Amino acid sequence: MNGKIAIVGAGPSGCYVAQALLKSEPALQVDVIDALPVPYGLVRYGVAADHQGTKAVVRQFARIFERQGARFFGNVRIGLDVSLNDLRQAYDVVVIAAGLSLDKKLGVEGEELPGVYGSASLAMALHEHPDAGALPVLGANPIIVGNGNVAIDLVRMLCKTRDEFDGSDLGAIPTAWLERNEFETITILGRSAASRAKFDALMLRELGKLGNVQIDVIGADHSDEPDERKRLDALADINGHASGKSRVIFRFGLTPVAVEGREHVTGLRVSGTNGTETIPASSIITAIGFADDGALGHDELKAAALDLEAGKLADGLFCVGWFRAGPRGAIPDSRLDAQAVAHKIIDDLAVDLGRIGGELFEGLPGVVGFDGWQNIDAHETSTALPNRSRKKLPTRTELLRVAKQELN
Amino acid sequence: MKISVLYGTETGNAEMLAEDIQTALEDDHDVSCRNLADIDPAGLSGEEFLILVCSTYGEGDLPASAQPFAKRLDEGNFDLSAVRFAIFGLGDSEYEETFTHGSLKLSQRLQAQGAVQIGDRLTHDASQGEMPEDIAVPWAKAIVEGLPK
Repeated sequence: MNGKIAIVGAGPSGCYVAQALLKSEPALQVDVIDALPVPYGLVRYGVAADHQGTKAVVRQFARIFERQGARFFGNVRIGLDVSLNDLRQAYDVVVIAAGLSLDKKLGVEGEELPGVYGSASLAMALHEHPDAGALPVLGANPIIVGNGNVAIDLVRMLCKTRDEFDGSDLGAIPTAWLERNEFETITILGRSAASRAKFDALMLRELGKLGNVQIDVIGADHSDEPDERKRLDALADINGHASGKSRVIFRFGLTPVAVEGREHVTGLRVSGTNGTETIPASSIITAIGFADDGALGHDELKAAALDLEAGKLADGLFCVGWFRAGPRGAIPDSRLDAQAVAHKIIDDLAVDLGRIGGELFEGLPGVVGFDGWQNIDAHETSTALPNRSRKKLPTRTELLRVAKQELN
Repeated sequence: MKISVLYGTETGNAEMLAEDIQTALEDDHDVSCRNLADIDPAGLSGEEFLILVCSTYGEGDLPASAQPFAKRLDEGNFDLSAVRFAIFGLGDSEYEETFTHGSLKLSQRLQAQGAVQIGDRLTHDASQGEMPEDIAVPWAKAIVEGLPK
């Protein structure tokens, strides 16, 4: 089957859609477009630097471009450099796999005070995303608000010692920043009871292996439901783990009411079954989910969707992954979602041989192909510092220069 | 020889490795590559040599695509004494207590129903630099060459 398909976003969802489409219909022309000069989205910039095993999926994704015939168009921002309408005119099908890149807000008074940071922004800075801001000053007593694996990733990275990052691709600046931090207490809290928290037991157990923490789990409940039991058992097992000086306190069933402070955060007021209290804080990191950045008209498109469950927004326009279903699920979920949407796309495909496809990008300056990414990848891995697997180029300028082999 | 490469996968890494093994063997043998999710234990016979590729997920659990197969094995009584298999495991030594337990559990379940494992269960560690196919392909070739014709 012929046909031209554009996928917006080269993260896990976009790559898995391309893989499933080409596995089923190898003659399709599949073009994967990303706003960054590099592919793989959250695998590169979201999966924690010390979880290199998880990042091994990029070997599958590379094959989509190296062997299955997909093309990469990096450094192309749909909605800015090329409109979504023009893209839809050029391709038989457009699949939006752009994810959700912003932090969901707490929605409480005082949230705009200096000292309140989003986990997505912080993770971007830790992982040297080219659009990230500077790493913030967290002070001695940060609070992390959130009951999911993003919160656990942050706690773990904040508490790790230098040696515990051996083999990772954590950059020199984030490494030095982590070492400069001197935490007394990191409090991690959320609305739900411990049994209903979203942490994976495996992620919790990793905290019990850290070499410079003391962990207190306060107010965990009981449950006989097997999945809830797993999580509660993991919390019970790490409770009391004492290997060093950074104190990590887990608290549950607390709803943030207000951020306190005049010129900077001084605390978080929360309410729970025992009433309201203020927990002192030198900073607050929100890890309560992700939100859309508005660039592609997420809300309007989904409101008018023909069949959102199947990923169909309109004729010739599909969506997948977090953009489709919201910020839930990890890499395996994105694979299953992508495979289901890919089947729907193929069932639905009406080919118009007059579509121009990738010619649309001719004349755009700075477009990075998969060969450009391979130049970046080779450069980053060959310049890795001792005990690191990669040295990421942290700016768009450097990424583009190396992509074009303009090596000083 | 008829060979069936069966994979249990969660993110697709085991599927990719199974396809690499199929590609490496298919010049000399009749090789199919299938998802364990589509396999009925009752349909397994001694006619094909099985090469299983299986990852590990969560706390040493079987990956999603191997779970329905394992459930069918657990719930039934099968005589798999004619079935010979080799098994390769994928894992991540970051999680050392449960490293490659997915493939271990799958092997134990097959053996419990009489199937005979050929060779050692070889494993790959995602936290090491080596490519899984660089370990698994020579392993699979050596095992297949050592089988009685």
